[in-house]
Amino acid sequence: MSNEITIKIDGKECKTTEGEFLLNAARANDIFIPAICYLTRCSPTLACRICLVEADGKRVYACNAKAKDGMEITVSNEEILEERRAIMEVYDVNHPLQCGICDQSGECELQNYTLELGVDSQQYFIPDTKRENKDWSSVLHYDAGLCIVCERCTTVCKDMIGDAAIKTGARGGAVLDKGLKTTMPKDAYAMWNKLQKAIIVPSNGTEFTNCSDCGECTAVCPVGALVSKEFIYTTNSWELERIPATCAHCSSGCQIYYETKHTSISNPDKKIYRVTNEWNYVSLCGAGRFGFDFENRVDGKDEDAFNRAIEAFKKADTIKFNSTITNEEALMLQRVKDKFGTRLVNADALAFKEFLSIYSIASGNSLYKNDFREVMQSDFVISVGTSLRNDNPNARYAFNNVQKMNKGAGLYFHPVGDTLVPTFGKSVESLIHKVGQEELALYLVLDLFADKEKIPSDIKDYLASFHSTVKKTIKEKVMQSVTSTVVDKVTGESKEVTKKVPKMIDKEIEADENELINLLGGDSSKFADAFEKMMKKKENFSMIIGEDLYFHPKARNIARLVALIETTCDMNLVMIPPKTNSLGVALICDLDKEVSGYTIGYNEKADFTLSAIGDGDLDIPAINQQEGTFVNMNKVLVPTNAALEYKGYELNDILNALDIGKDETIDFTIELPENKGFKAVAFDDLPNGYTNSGKENRGYILENLKVTKEDIKVVTFNDNIILNGEIAYRCNPQRQFNDFTEKSEQIFEEFAIYASPAKAEKLGKKVEVKFDKKSIVLSVIVDDRMSGDILAIPDFRSSEDIYAIFGKNRFKQVTIRKV
Amino acid sequence: MDAIIIETIVKAALVIAVFSALAGFGTFIERKILAFMQRRLGPMHVGPFGILQIAADGIKLFTKEDIIPQHANKFIFMIAPIITAATAFIALAAVPIFPEFTVFGYTIHPIVADINVGILFILGAMASGLYGPLLAGMAQANKWGIIGSARTAILFMSYEVVTGLSLLAPIMLVGSLSLIDFNAAQTGGVGEWLVWQQPVAFILFIIAGFAETNRTPFDILEHEAEIISGYATEYSGMRWGMFFIGEYANMITISFMASLIFFGGFNEWGILPGGLAILLKVSFFFFLMLWVRASWPHIRPDQLMWLCWKVLMPIAILNVLITGLVMML
Amino acid sequence: MSLNKFKDRNVGVQNYTLIEHEAFPQTGGEKFARVLKRTIKGELFVGLWVTMRTMILALFNGEIHTVKYPFEKLPISPRYRAIHDMLRLLESGHYRCIGCGLCEKICIADCIKMDTKYDENQRKEVTEYTINFGRCIFCGYCAEVCPELAIVHGGRYETASQQRASFSIFDDMLTPIDALKEQKEYPGFGAVSPNADDNIKKTPLAY
Ligand code: SF4
Ligand code: SF4
Ligand code: SF4
Ligand code: SF4
Ligand code: SF4
Ligand code: FES
Repeated sequence: MSNEITIKIDGKECKTTEGEFLLNAARANDIFIPAICYLTRCSPTLACRICLVEADGKRVYACNAKAKDGMEITVSNEEILEERRAIMEVYDVNHPLQCGICDQSGECELQNYTLELGVDSQQYFIPDTKRENKDWSSVLHYDAGLCIVCERCTTVCKDMIGDAAIKTGARGGAVLDKGLKTTMPKDAYAMWNKLQKAIIVPSNGTEFTNCSDCGECTAVCPVGALVSKEFIYTTNSWELERIPATCAHCSSGCQIYYETKHTSISNPDKKIYRVTNEWNYVSLCGAGRFGFDFENRVDGKDEDAFNRAIEAFKKADTIKFNSTITNEEALMLQRVKDKFGTRLVNADALAFKEFLSIYSIASGNSLYKNDFREVMQSDFVISVGTSLRNDNPNARYAFNNVQKMNKGAGLYFHPVGDTLVPTFGKSVESLIHKVGQEELALYLVLDLFADKEKIPSDIKDYLASFHSTVKKTIKEKVMQSVTSTVVDKVTGESKEVTKKVPKMIDKEIEADENELINLLGGDSSKFADAFEKMMKKKENFSMIIGEDLYFHPKARNIARLVALIETTCDMNLVMIPPKTNSLGVALICDLDKEVSGYTIGYNEKADFTLSAIGDGDLDIPAINQQEGTFVNMNKVLVPTNAALEYKGYELNDILNALDIGKDETIDFTIELPENKGFKAVAFDDLPNGYTNSGKENRGYILENLKVTKEDIKVVTFNDNIILNGEIAYRCNPQRQFNDFTEKSEQIFEEFAIYASPAKAEKLGKKVEVKFDKKSIVLSVIVDDRMSGDILAIPDFRSSEDIYAIFGKNRFKQVTIRKV
Repeated sequence: MDAIIIETIVKAALVIAVFSALAGFGTFIERKILAFMQRRLGPMHVGPFGILQIAADGIKLFTKEDIIPQHANKFIFMIAPIITAATAFIALAAVPIFPEFTVFGYTIHPIVADINVGILFILGAMASGLYGPLLAGMAQANKWGIIGSARTAILFMSYEVVTGLSLLAPIMLVGSLSLIDFNAAQTGGVGEWLVWQQPVAFILFIIAGFAETNRTPFDILEHEAEIISGYATEYSGMRWGMFFIGEYANMITISFMASLIFFGGFNEWGILPGGLAILLKVSFFFFLMLWVRASWPHIRPDQLMWLCWKVLMPIAILNVLITGLVMML
Repeated sequence: MSLNKFKDRNVGVQNYTLIEHEAFPQTGGEKFARVLKRTIKGELFVGLWVTMRTMILALFNGEIHTVKYPFEKLPISPRYRAIHDMLRLLESGHYRCIGCGLCEKICIADCIKMDTKYDENQRKEVTEYTINFGRCIFCGYCAEVCPELAIVHGGRYETASQQRASFSIFDDMLTPIDALKEQKEYPGFGAVSPNADDNIKKTPLAY
């Protein structure tokens, strides 16, 4: 697929790959072609038609014409310019003259292209239609009057986010005068014709989108039609200062910009007004986009607390923390351990670290082989052990994008039923298995995809033991010859005539029955056919594995199985680290299992608590107030910058008081352990952006080191670990990840039990959930997109210590009592 | 003897009181006259026609904080203005102000001390008055002050010479150094005024007098446009005020001297009684100083020296020589 | 009129008259001669006469130019750029400012700040607007850029006060609602040009 070819754009030789869209090729070579409706990574919609160019003498749309070797492209000629100008004139017809107040003013593509094409007078007109302002959800505000129906919002929602929560609907506008068809440029006419008929509406037929509230549609909207409710009319975009950063809510580590300005006339302190992103190259989730106001505002340095903190560090036996911290902070904690022998306890990173270490011994690599960019390029994705919709938005976007863009297929294994995932594509099979059967899912993957020559014979036998041949009766249409005697009426002769007629007959065939499918909740008889279709023309496979597996009672065996799959199947393998920087922490820190003695909590409740939320004994800066780096799930070390001022003490100050600190926190960046794959690069040398070609240019990729490989046998599945009865699943609602998202004002998802509509009805409003030792009382919230009986209990509020309640497991058998 | 002492003390007190007040009044007059010459109104708001502005300024000067800069030589800084003011009044001691008159049968000589070297005394006292600015400028640890005192030194060296030489000729004519004798020498009416015999000496004396009193066009010691306030830069309150009392007292002294030496002193002038005559003459010279200030630009220090050494002094010597020759013949 | 006059962009120099002055004296003798000449010519007395004449006219003819500010005030030009006013719409009385932020952006001294929000009527509401008069240089850019003729320069030039805030709040600058009738358009920077109507192209709205 990636054949290097050369095309000529306006006489300039451009290197690109065969089949690349002309627009992308031009952009990668720094050539400007006007384009409104196209979104990189999504399918072209041809809504705007302004990207019209001439390729080898033919008029084509740059956003969907593919490059062929030797193509010669002219970006503009007189006819095309006339066409483009007409398009912009049409867009301006009845567009409200309200740039003065519009939120998009200054970064509006309608403004830009209107100026670019020099539209200074208008020759078209049509009666206007009244279009209402709508609030589509708690975060979305749609001003239909401004909408130019470029369909970018619907496209991104469908092709990237996967919700497909909005679509074009009827506008009820006046009909164009047919005469125009002959008099005006034809693409402009076609565009206008469509524009007059359409408007954007929620796809579920109601007034509300009821979607993931990711806000990506507001980001891609070229005009001021879609903006967030909180942001609208609060500031002009040009007053905002953009600070490149990294979102710290989940392990995607998306590149974002914090946009800041003084809070108000009377309050000169900076405030974050919004988060923006390079939406062509990265898509955010609702937490990243709206969860930005979690800063820890302190008035100054609290010396008393600081002195107490130093005392606490001197006498502490344990430091308890979680992975929503930077690498630098993790390294500092490790330094404390090196000096004082303090135990470091971090539940999420420990589980991941153990899993990773078994995996690396079994596979010979310190890290998993691939990253999510490669997953997006593949055409078959398997997801095991993760609640795709909740755990990591970008894993979900990748899964969805593969279905939409690569005509892909997907297999989704999870104990909790999900109604959204199957809608990602026609070839998505979702297998809702029992809790504990994750190993079986991996065995099925081996069975379906492994090169049978490579797998050990005992496993081969074990897999074969699930297969049986069954006799199956199927209806088959056969052509039967029917011979009848016909008497010729004229001659009286009787003649034998043979005719072929179709007939349905029962036929016994021998079919392969795969018991694994049945065990995993599927229907093996139907699956075989479906799978055959799914596999058509597929050449690039990926597997995503998630947190369920690291917290599995059989995690060690699973890690080996995963390594086995990686070596025997031709498949990309990626893992989702459980929390933002679990991967970084796992690499940097020596972690201990148990908390003991006097404990310091770093963003966790303990005897002495350092808190970036502001509820502890000593305040520390929140992520948007400090510089640092994370290791994201793509194994990339990404930098983030401070958007807001922080006036108090930080961990480095404590370390300085203990004589192991540095001038700046970021002086630790260069000292991250090179024997774990980090590089000796200073913080200030880390880039954080994207190039025009969409190439990610952020930080550096961690080295995947070779590890001595040991051959350890995988063991077979034993069904005594299957859980039955009421089961609770440690899983956050969408847009909630940690204390910081909870603190954010625009994130409303509560700390409660989430259950499928049917289950929620049975449970009532509020229940008490009893675990082995503890019990908690929580209200019940319906999650429309869940199905089945499992309850989801969030862990984002660290003070509730849900990790401890669940222990080393994500699923727990519980008893439930209505209250 | 006692009577003389008491009389002298009373006279001295009177002179100090009256001339201090006159100095204040002088500032008011100056402001008014300059204003009229520039089509302005001048002080208007305190009292009728702003006359009480003097009182207001006085109150202000007395109550204002007296600031002594940190690095100044405190003692010298503090006494410098006193030198200026004191010498100005000391000089006045030898000036006969009015003709003698009789009160309750007691003849009063309106002069504090009629010494026989009156002119020398006055010139000497006024010249030592220049120590005030000189020391003030050097004591205040301020670069503008230093420049101010350097310019004082220039003035000092240049104009004392001209003053002395210009008066030498009239002294030769009169043959005395006492101003009373000068007055007596001109009793014969306007025709006997010495100015007719010594016009050149008069002009030289007036020029030198302007310089001596630090008036435009020779106000180089504290020219605002060039050196902020020169020697007075760091001064405030009454210390600053004393410099100006001294300056205005000197102006009055010079006016008296000009009237006494060249313009017939307090002799009766036609029908005018002597007291009134001298008042008019003094007022004219005082006015002249203000008038000149409003009309003429000031000159550079180098021009000042050039004028003194290369023009005025040779003319003064020539004048003395010629006077001497004429007297011999 | 020929255009040459306008093409000469040496603004101001055109009306200068160059004074011929004699050569400066070089030697001491020349200098002395000049002093002598000037002395004899009586230039100094001309100077004295000028001031004396002025004084006489001032005293006896009342030719005094002092304006007794603040008891008397001179009228200022309507285009004078003093403390700003925020105007209202004449019909509705609503403030004209739409919160577009152009004045905030263009302000050369960076002294305008404004707070806006989305209000109940789905409009952009200007909740507060302020000019820091400690920094404003009265350049008039804000008045010129304002698309609504909302911010203009007013006539309040007496800007000494104990608090800058005394002038700089939205309510202070806004025409009082009961004085709406007296509100005047500002003819200076940013005003509509007299031929504005001719310059507008009309959008076809034939339906
Ligand atoms: S969408 Fe663009 S063109 Fe339309 S009002 Fe807003 S800024 Fe202006
Ligand atoms: S809302 Fe924005 S992105 Fe969506 S169609 Fe309208 S203009 Fe395009
Ligand atoms: S917020 Fe996200 S999910 Fe909702 S409509 Fe917009 S793009 Fe779609
Ligand atoms: S007059 Fe000039 S400096 Fe003052 S507010 Fe307006 S733009 Fe700013
Ligand atoms: S330019 Fe005018 S309308 Fe815009 S914010 Fe300023 S005052 Fe308001
Ligand atoms: S960008 Fe190609 S049609 Fe819109």
